[in-house]
Parts: sequence; structure tokens; C-alpha cells
Amino acid sequence: MLVKVLYFGRLKEVSGAPEESVELCDGARIEDLFTQCALSRPELRKFRSSLVAARNREFAAWDTPLDPGDEIGFLPPVSGG
Amino acid sequence: MANTHANDRIELTREVIPKAALARDIRGNEDGAVATFDGCVRNHSHGRATLHLEYEAYESMALSKMREIAHELHSHYAINRVAIVHRLGRLEIGETSVFIAVSSAHRAAAFDACRHAIDTLKKTVPIWKKEYFADGAVWADGELPPAPGQTRGTKPASN
Repeated sequence: MLVKVLYFGRLKEVSGAPEESVELCDGARIEDLFTQCALSRPELRKFRSSLVAARNREFAAWDTPLDPGDEIGFLPPVSGG
Repeated sequence: MANTHANDRIELTREVIPKAALARDIRGNEDGAVATFDGCVRNHSHGRATLHLEYEAYESMALSKMREIAHELHSHYAINRVAIVHRLGRLEIGETSVFIAVSSAHRAAAFDACRHAIDTLKKTVPIWKKEYFADGAVWADGELPPAPGQTRGTKPASN
């Protein structure tokens, strides 16, 4: 299945692009998606513990299963205001 | 997406925030108070002189989270209308980055709701600030939004 990944803030600079489409096996969870995204950019790994994930614009647990077409955001600590 | 009251104003903008108009427009004749919060760009951060800031957002989610805040205010406080407007893009020293206005019949609810709104926004709305200094730029330290725990009893993958 294909999902859309969005990167923000410092993560966007590390990933080198604001978004990408990623092909995953059925049954994959958000954690698996992050692992796959980090395969080609190992430097993403060190941000894992200071990120939250969003699935279709709602905060989501890392073990949330994915559906085709999901929009997953990897969000660093927020600093609006 | 949370419902908002028809007269609420929940927006992201790349233009100067029209503060006076927002504060005026959310007041109705049943209101005895309008409390506002004006968040503005200061000229220093952690002892360094700031030149300017840049804000970016996960726009669709940020608007959704801002609407949730307004919904929460209506549920918890005796208020009438809410405006929450956040600016994006490059901001200069002294400019307003976020403006919140809350109207109510009596002042306590407006004050309390306004405070609740900005405190919640800073924790849960996906907006990021980059600070530019004479010798470089950094993403501001922020708050990690509270995320749901595991969806089931399985052990999550390790970090």
C-alpha cells in the first residue's frame, strides 16, 4: 500500500524533502513506516524519541496500523505562539 | 473536526493580523468583556539577539487543532465567541504572531478561556518557529504534544 509522509520543522531539513510517498506491506504500522523512511536517511533515527506522529491530521500512537492513502506527519516538538 | 460556533474566527494567515478588527468583530451586545492575547516577536532568545522569525505549520492539522481549542473553550467556559489567528512566514521584531480574543458576558470567563487557549495552542497545534540570529538560525525548542499511547497491548518497537 502507498501512504503519504509529511516532514516538518527541523525534520524537513533532515529528510531533504517536505513530503514523499512510501510503499509499505499490508499490516504495517506507523513505527514500521518511520523505520523504512530512516533506512535511506539514518540521521532521522536520532529524532525518533522526540517526535510525535499524526495520522490523517490526528495525533496517533506509533503502533497504529496504516491504511492505503493515509497521510502521516512526523512532527517535532511544536513551537507556535 | 470539532465544530465551531458560526461567529468564531479560526485562521492561519501570511498577512499582518487585523487585531483591532478581530477584537471588535467578536464582541456582541450581550458581551460585557473581550479578553485578548497578543503574542509578539521579541528581540532576544536565550540571551541572543533575534533578527527575525519564520513560522511554518502543518496547515490543515493546525486549523483542525485550533478549532478543537475553540470548541473546548465553548464547552468549558461561559463565553460567546472566540478568535484564534496565527501568522505564518517571516515575522519581524514586534509583529504579532498569534492573536486570541474571547468575548463573554463577564470578565472571568473571558480571561480564563483566553489563557487556556494560548496555553493549549502552544502544546498541541502543529506550528514551528525558526529563530534567525546574526550568526545563524535554529528551530525553537518546543513542546512535544501529548500523543495517544499504544493502540493495543503489544510492546511498541524500541527507539
